[in-house]
Amino acid sequence: MNSAVATVGKKKTRITQSIVLIGIIVAICAVTSIVNPRFLRIQNIINIFQQISILGIVACGIGMLLVAGQIDISVGSQISLMGVIIGMVIEKLVGKPIPGVQAWQAALAIPLAVVATLVLGFLMGLLNGIVVIKSRAASFIITLGFMTAYHGAALLTSGGYGYSLYGHFELLGRGRVLNIIPIPILFFLGVVLITYLVLKYFRYGRFLYAIGGNRKAAYVSGINTNRITIIAYVVTGMCSALAALILISRVGSATATTGDAYGLDALAGVIVGGVALSGGRGNALNIFLGVMLIGLISNALIIMTIDPYMRDVIIGLIIIIAVTIAQYTSERE
Amino acid sequence: MASGEVLGAIKISKSYPGVQALESIDFELRAGEVQALVGQNGAGKSTFIEIISGALRPDSGQIMVEGRAYPYLEPSKSIELGIQTVHQENQLVEELSVAENIYLFDLPGNRLGLVNYAQCQKAAGALLAELGIQVPAGRKMTQLTFIEKKLVSIAKAFSRQAKVLILDEPTASLDEKGKNVLFDIIRQNTGKGLGVIYISHNLGEIFEVCDRVTVFKDGKKVATHAVAEISMNTVVQEMIGRTTSSLYAREGGKAGTAAGAALEVEDFSREGVVDHVSFDVRPGEIFGIGGLVGAGRTELARMIFGLDPKDSGRLLLRGKDITPASPFDAIQKGIGYLTEDRKDSGLILGRPIFENVSLARLAKSLRLLLDLGRERGETGDISRQLDIKTPSLEQRVINLSGGNQQKVVLAKWLFAGSEVLIFDEPTVGVDVGAKSEIYRMMENLARQGKVIIMISSDNPELVAVCDRVGIMRDRKLVVVLEGEQISEENILRYSMGVGERD
Repeated sequence: MNSAVATVGKKKTRITQSIVLIGIIVAICAVTSIVNPRFLRIQNIINIFQQISILGIVACGIGMLLVAGQIDISVGSQISLMGVIIGMVIEKLVGKPIPGVQAWQAALAIPLAVVATLVLGFLMGLLNGIVVIKSRAASFIITLGFMTAYHGAALLTSGGYGYSLYGHFELLGRGRVLNIIPIPILFFLGVVLITYLVLKYFRYGRFLYAIGGNRKAAYVSGINTNRITIIAYVVTGMCSALAALILISRVGSATATTGDAYGLDALAGVIVGGVALSGGRGNALNIFLGVMLIGLISNALIIMTIDPYMRDVIIGLIIIIAVTIAQYTSERE
Repeated sequence: MASGEVLGAIKISKSYPGVQALESIDFELRAGEVQALVGQNGAGKSTFIEIISGALRPDSGQIMVEGRAYPYLEPSKSIELGIQTVHQENQLVEELSVAENIYLFDLPGNRLGLVNYAQCQKAAGALLAELGIQVPAGRKMTQLTFIEKKLVSIAKAFSRQAKVLILDEPTASLDEKGKNVLFDIIRQNTGKGLGVIYISHNLGEIFEVCDRVTVFKDGKKVATHAVAEISMNTVVQEMIGRTTSSLYAREGGKAGTAAGAALEVEDFSREGVVDHVSFDVRPGEIFGIGGLVGAGRTELARMIFGLDPKDSGRLLLRGKDITPASPFDAIQKGIGYLTEDRKDSGLILGRPIFENVSLARLAKSLRLLLDLGRERGETGDISRQLDIKTPSLEQRVINLSGGNQQKVVLAKWLFAGSEVLIFDEPTVGVDVGAKSEIYRMMENLARQGKVIIMISSDNPELVAVCDRVGIMRDRKLVVVLEGEQISEENILRYSMGVGERD
């Protein structure tokens, strides 16, 4: 009897990928702190985390979707639309001079805005998922359509103007626990932790990998591939909802484009984190590191007083390099 | 009739890793003749055709076209030399008209470089009329029937100068009328010196329309005969060849005929796909399903497993109805299906062994959380039982050999508690050693009371392993062979429909 099945795990690919990311992050930190020592101050580090919190929440949703071999590029417009709804609800109910606001209005507005956002996030995810499945078309194309539609809906809702929260609803985006740790960071870390647990310890996460790895084989193995996929879109929509709430709370106002950049930036983070576009690969740690890298680059450029417009150029190049490297390594296998 | 050689091959060889697809093939096609190419699945016919039509390059040897030698041909070169191929699957552009399809690579233009549709249609109309094909040249492909499309692809082959016409299973989708049109076209044009290579599994047709027949077996040419001087029986014999050593010997001998039915497959049918198939699998036996590729075997298996829709069909396991509505349902009811192409639909190649093994069982369970420790232990146990050779359960399946991959698929279904196991071409791409391991496992599983069905195009394998073998032809189960009746010769006869005729 050949007992060749050893129990010792060999996690070569994942560790090397994470290590490369950590290496790059350390290198950027080193260079930046030499150029400007203020980079390493606690306050700046907290800043960086705060800046990537929203991005990270969105990235976790997209990341899980990508693991299942799907993509949703409408996420940015989803956030903008929900942002406008939040702004509208709050401005309509409690906006304008504070003395004129009745107590019931103030008590109602924020819960209403929160519930409306979560419901809307749920519904947009559900709609995206169902249409992607039923149309049998590429998810990129379908969600491209939704991106435009949600953008239009946001413009319609805002009437072309923005809404201001007049200082209401500040806690979620600007509050700090113990006066030190910003609340968004806690949500961010919480979502990353949940993503980690789902992908590693839940049957659902296992099915995401299976579907992303080989949809046909997953179906033949008895997995309800359609349902799992639709749920992944819903989860992404819910992550967008949470991101929208934190974003609008932090910014204090909402226009039809407030959240637009988050969709593609989050996607960039996920891809840089080594989640394969073809599906079946990726994990929460790498999504976290990918987002870190994107956030760090933005911060480092500011700290080093480089033209902030350079940021997009650099991030674009990084995506291209990351995908190219991933392509070559997977081909070699 | 002219009688010079229009196409020849001199010592053509082609090998793939682990397989000698063609070995030193000599071939000669004369002007004005129709020469059939026959052989079992995997005999090398397709590879040979692909080399002639330029899709593949041979490792060595030469292709002779009208006396000139070529080491290989590009597809465009082959066409330019007058070698036109009509493939088994239609390769037409559905959204274009008949005329545009016929002249797709050589659309007549006007002085501005624009397509001259009027001229194109006129030329196509004339060509179709000349060939006796009654299809309007201006019609869109999507409006044509299956048969009309086939005739258009034949017409297309004649749109360019054709010296050699290769027909790959040309009658597979044709009715009597279509066949007659095709045979007329062949007779007319061979009269003008066209050489035709005719690939078919239908010996009746070959004896009707061909002048000579060449038999391939295991990548070698067995012989070329004039059809008038040979019987169908001899051709069948040559296709099988003399198998000296037995492939595999069953440990406990064959189970024989135990009474009763463990599994009853009742009247599975879907129009145009599978035609009212019923059979029983007896306790302890391995039931084989043979037939030619395309006879409806895999389609039957997919229906039994609940993967594809069906018009009718019931599945009874020891008297209990277990007809599944979906793969999920099938797994709940204890059915497992090892698909024909394990890489395409059997395995998550990029994921570790243990994840693949536990997948179907997980799909069955209702637990939210994974029990990673237990999963590791149990998938490890079953992997050891099946002797899957790997340094670790974390190994991604893509890195395993074909035999070990197949064992992973089997482990998945055993781990899910399957009582009925359908093996579809289980040993394709599996080395000899692993093959007999897989047979041994099937044998043991049958002895343990599992219901084992094996679909195979490897006839020696069916003979060696199965207690009974059902043969499918043209979507029907035509016979169930038992005991001494199970021979390569009988399997092939019934597969091709020669058995009843002689």
